Amino acid sequence: MENDKSNEELRVGVFVCHCGTNIGGFVDVPSVAEYAKTLPGVVFAMDNLYTCAEDGLAAIKNAIKEHKLNRVVVASCTPRTHAPLFQATVEEAGLNKYLFTFVNIREHCSWVHMKEKEKATEKARDLVRMGVARVKLLSPQEEPRIPVEKSALVIGGGVAGMTAAHSLAKMGFPVHLVEKEKELGGFVRNLNNLYVTTKDATETIMPLIEKVKSHPNIKVYLNSKVSNVHGFIGNFDVKIKPNDKDEEVEHKVGSIIVATGAIEYTKEALYGYNVYKNVVTLTEFEIMCKNKTLPKVKNVAFIQCAGSRGQDVSYCSRICCNVAIKNAINIVDNYDNLLGIAEQTGKAVEEVPVEPKAPTEVLERRRRRSSRGRGREDEEVAEEVKRGPGERIEVTIFNRDIMSYGIAHELYFNKAREKRVRFVRYKPDRRPEVIMDGDKLMIKYFHETLAVEREMPVDLVILSTPLIAQPDAEDISRLLKVPCGQDGFFLEAHVKLRPVDFATDGVFVCGTARGPADITESIEQAEAAASRAATPLAAGYVQAEAIMAHVDQEICSGCGTCIDVCPYGAITKNEEGLAEVVAAACKGCGCCGASCPENAISMTNYTDEQLMAEALAALKEAI
Amino acid sequence: MVIGGGIAGIQASLDLADKGIPVHLVEKSPSIGGRMAQLDKTFPTNDCSICILAPKMADCFGHPNINVMTYSEVKEVSGKAGDFTVKILKKSRFVDETKCTGCCECIEKCPTKVPNEWEQNLGVRRAIYIPFMQAVPRVVTIDRDVCRKLTEDKCGVCAKVCKREAIDYEMKDQEGEINVSAIVVATGYDLWDPSVAPEYGYGKYPNVFTAMEYERMINAAGPTGGHIKRRSDGEHPKKMAFIQCVGSRNPQMGHPYCCAVCCMFSVKESMLAREHYDDIESTIFYKDLRTCSKNFYEYTERARNDYGVRTINSDGTVKENPENKNPIVVYDVGGRPVEEEFDIVVLASTLIPRKDAADMAKMLGIKADEWGFYTSPDRVMNPGETNVSGIFVAGYCAGPADIPESVAQGSGVAAKAFEVLAGSER
Amino acid sequence: MAEDFEPKIVGFLCNWCSYAGADLCGVSRYQYPTNIRVVRVMCSTRISPHMVLRILREGADGVILGGCHIGDCHYISGNYYTERRFEMMEKMIELAGLEPERIRLEWVSASEGERFSKVVSDFVSQIKKLGPSPVRNKPEVAKKLEGAENASKSFRMKALVSKEYNLLTKENVYEEMLDPERLRNLIEQAANDEYERSLILTLTQDKSLSVKDLSKIIDVPTDRVLEHIVALRQKNLIAMEHPDGFTPTYHAIIIGGE
Repeated sequence: MENDKSNEELRVGVFVCHCGTNIGGFVDVPSVAEYAKTLPGVVFAMDNLYTCAEDGLAAIKNAIKEHKLNRVVVASCTPRTHAPLFQATVEEAGLNKYLFTFVNIREHCSWVHMKEKEKATEKARDLVRMGVARVKLLSPQEEPRIPVEKSALVIGGGVAGMTAAHSLAKMGFPVHLVEKEKELGGFVRNLNNLYVTTKDATETIMPLIEKVKSHPNIKVYLNSKVSNVHGFIGNFDVKIKPNDKDEEVEHKVGSIIVATGAIEYTKEALYGYNVYKNVVTLTEFEIMCKNKTLPKVKNVAFIQCAGSRGQDVSYCSRICCNVAIKNAINIVDNYDNLLGIAEQTGKAVEEVPVEPKAPTEVLERRRRRSSRGRGREDEEVAEEVKRGPGERIEVTIFNRDIMSYGIAHELYFNKAREKRVRFVRYKPDRRPEVIMDGDKLMIKYFHETLAVEREMPVDLVILSTPLIAQPDAEDISRLLKVPCGQDGFFLEAHVKLRPVDFATDGVFVCGTARGPADITESIEQAEAAASRAATPLAAGYVQAEAIMAHVDQEICSGCGTCIDVCPYGAITKNEEGLAEVVAAACKGCGCCGASCPENAISMTNYTDEQLMAEALAALKEAI
Repeated sequence: MVIGGGIAGIQASLDLADKGIPVHLVEKSPSIGGRMAQLDKTFPTNDCSICILAPKMADCFGHPNINVMTYSEVKEVSGKAGDFTVKILKKSRFVDETKCTGCCECIEKCPTKVPNEWEQNLGVRRAIYIPFMQAVPRVVTIDRDVCRKLTEDKCGVCAKVCKREAIDYEMKDQEGEINVSAIVVATGYDLWDPSVAPEYGYGKYPNVFTAMEYERMINAAGPTGGHIKRRSDGEHPKKMAFIQCVGSRNPQMGHPYCCAVCCMFSVKESMLAREHYDDIESTIFYKDLRTCSKNFYEYTERARNDYGVRTINSDGTVKENPENKNPIVVYDVGGRPVEEEFDIVVLASTLIPRKDAADMAKMLGIKADEWGFYTSPDRVMNPGETNVSGIFVAGYCAGPADIPESVAQGSGVAAKAFEVLAGSER
Repeated sequence: MAEDFEPKIVGFLCNWCSYAGADLCGVSRYQYPTNIRVVRVMCSTRISPHMVLRILREGADGVILGGCHIGDCHYISGNYYTERRFEMMEKMIELAGLEPERIRLEWVSASEGERFSKVVSDFVSQIKKLGPSPVRNKPEVAKKLEGAENASKSFRMKALVSKEYNLLTKENVYEEMLDPERLRNLIEQAANDEYERSLILTLTQDKSLSVKDLSKIIDVPTDRVLEHIVALRQKNLIAMEHPDGFTPTYHAIIIGGE
């Protein structure tokens, strides 16, 4: 851009559009075209009834050839809709599309000054003059095409990660799937069954695990972590390190998907958790069902929003209501059966002790999170729960709002109510309390409708605690230079329209790493992430727009201001400590350019000189 | 091929096209954009809906790999995955799309005014029209049912004012056939008419609105220029009530399911009201306030604490004070009915599958549930797939979903369709 | 001032929101005065303070910047920086003795067509009230603006303004948050220093001036001018002369290049 075009004579062509009467009716278009001819550098100017129509476009192409134009200005409507059309036209005539400038004399002039023809015409002249001033400083640009490594890295071997990896593999791309645990499956491995189905959860995902393991395009790294990531979209260098060894494997990948999942929140003494026996979390209860280590119960209570929605964490964990309803139905329908199996296998328990309740790997994960002290062991033995024949198990769900959104969840909610599961609403200022009355576990609560304080005995309290971000989410966030939100979950590029993209190109997120989601939603997101990640791989290259930052290495002092302000991580330091723009990642906003203390950064196609020439031309005839 | 040019369909088209796959996007209405283009702001950031959507619409329309067919319908589908033959009816706009510049001069001159369905009939449009300012493509369409030239052979003023000679009253509907490997269905939702349920008084009491009407009113480009106005006297309301689950979560009305988005949009709408008018007070009557995605609960708390939005856990039905036409909401406090007068009531009425959803299912051979939502044989592990291999579903037509879910599903089915294509190559 | 004064106003609008809002304004035919000339930029963050100061120095009666609403920036965080830079512009304009009301920053979304027309109408009438820019008939104002322009181009100012947003929103390496008040004072002080020094250099480019002369033009005490001169001499940016043998005068050392 700074290299002068070898004294090539500037030959500007200006095309002023009437747009029927849209411009022509309020601006003296022929006079604007005549005026354009008087501007230095302009060798040709004309007015068209419709510049964007076939004949108008043909006129541009002819003029470029006939008058050897090397710059083109079109004064008509808005560049936001029509720039691509005219750029393609000049390109067809052999002119680089960056040697074209658009002047908006419709939306910004004729349509907004409909009662002042003279002044509007004067403004149109000024705008054309500004456009000519700008176009003369433009230089041809190539849009850099950056080749892409046609493979992907997926971090996390849960359902989301496996689905994403499998989808990419089916599209024909090699995938490296990294899981930090010893086996694939993730959170679902803890679960008993998945809602809507009564099938065993692990069994449900087993086909997926098998497909992932056996697919020739997928290389699974168990017990491993991603230890290093460098590069940008299409060209990431990643290092994978086994947990128990020091040797790292190195790969080049084109895109990265983060599917690291979430863990369940627990807190000592939250509703008596780890203080009283028979107080467990939802997932712990699922594990108990799965392992058939169940106690005899007559009264079961779920407490929803335990620790969430402003109690400890601010957010709603989305899935717990539906998981609780599923388990409530399971208990009402099937508990005796489960317990029977438990008794037959000799696994039934008198009570659920304070710990350990969960299998070692779950505990291990939690321990890594916090090394808080454990609650006191409760020595007292529960009284044998006596339930007469035919007496049903009473299930109560203490809740604030039941989040059974959509079709299937709501129908399940209705089913639970039909099965006489009690739903008791509480308000955050009057939460239920779990207390130990002698050796009896009790729940004290405030009945909203009747406005009275009540107590009920319970044999098992199940706490619906929220999902929280993985303890190592921050490490991954730093490694990939992608942000986490306030809640600790990964933050997508746009909450509405880019749900699985990160702002950083080439890196994507799905599943519960992004926030609480059920299995189906995680799979949907994983498929979406696979699609997004496959786009550069399928194209084989990324095309950057030529509107981007350029650092003059002669001037750069390596202060790093630009690196701080760039929202896309598109600027890095090279070996000499100087700033360098990663063309594939730069979006051309210009923040770095305006920030650079040394004025070393210029924006291609929007240089200071070009902008100033355009702006100053508004003020003066001569430039 | 993608059927439906809403946000899910747009996303699926873009995702496939960016991978180098040619896409035919078939949209029934004159413009792509779908329901999202109708909304004012989006929760939980209060981003302007059309502002974030318009660039996507333009991308989609201008994409070299996407053939956008608006005002077109799928008539027949045969074949199987990898080789479907689709018959498409391109309805005549009576306007040459290649000539029309969207200057809208013809609209100004058109003498025929009809209720504007885009504005939920709150405003009027002409017989020649574009559905909304940001429509893509930006070309006009003649409504054949009301145009005087087409119905009575009178008028013809639009042809006279069009300098581009784009108007063609002789233009015929065209049928064409295309071959495609995979089909994505993303047809979205319709709005249930709450006048069916007299207890809400919609259609009977002037100051009872639906949420979509409200959405259009509060939009700066809408029929009232962004002002909320009572239907009875045009006054701006000071006290508003939002009633949730109107028709939904209600087996008697035939919609036992939850629409999954109404709680959030009502919270949003109540916040927007406060942003427009300092003196407005909103009350939301709800069954459960389902605010269960990222930042949704926090958003609701903000509405309660910073925007003074009152939330009451109760059903609500509507009566009217005949003197001032104020709607009265009857709700329940501790088992006793309580009456409270409001200036307007906004109903979060059920979102239902498109009325032709069943016909579409029949034509494609895909299964729908009893309400008309398209279903997947393996709902848990393979969402988006249908019982017909090579046909996928995304967005609200496959069950209640908000915008990001629809976008994710659009991308997700693009992955599935691409798997089919990548598989057939090998 | 003359009734028929038609101000010249330059607008920088970001492509994604405010330019689109101006487009919608046109599509919807909301009318506004013809005085504004729009330059399209990708993001409002592109605009450096020195560009705006230059435009004012060249005789514009007002400059308006348009961006996406806070939180809606197409480039995630660009407009936060715009906000900080705009404060700097106002500060510099004030130092140079011009009305800070001659510049304006507005967030206009792509759907606020009508609002765009109101914003422009309002700004035009505001400028009309202020009257023509004094730059046109008072050369000393132009000089001062040039000083301000150079000051805002300086390493110190650019670095401070660019880092301000991050300093205020993110913890530093010691996990401390900076006190916004302190930072503002710091920046204010730096802005004064840089402006005065740049102005000294600008003024002494064409002719040598004494400390007294400078003190009078810039309107700061002599000891402060002297302070600046010492600092500038240390950087070898200014040279001393004794034209009449008594009072030393100074002139800027022009480094080749520019």
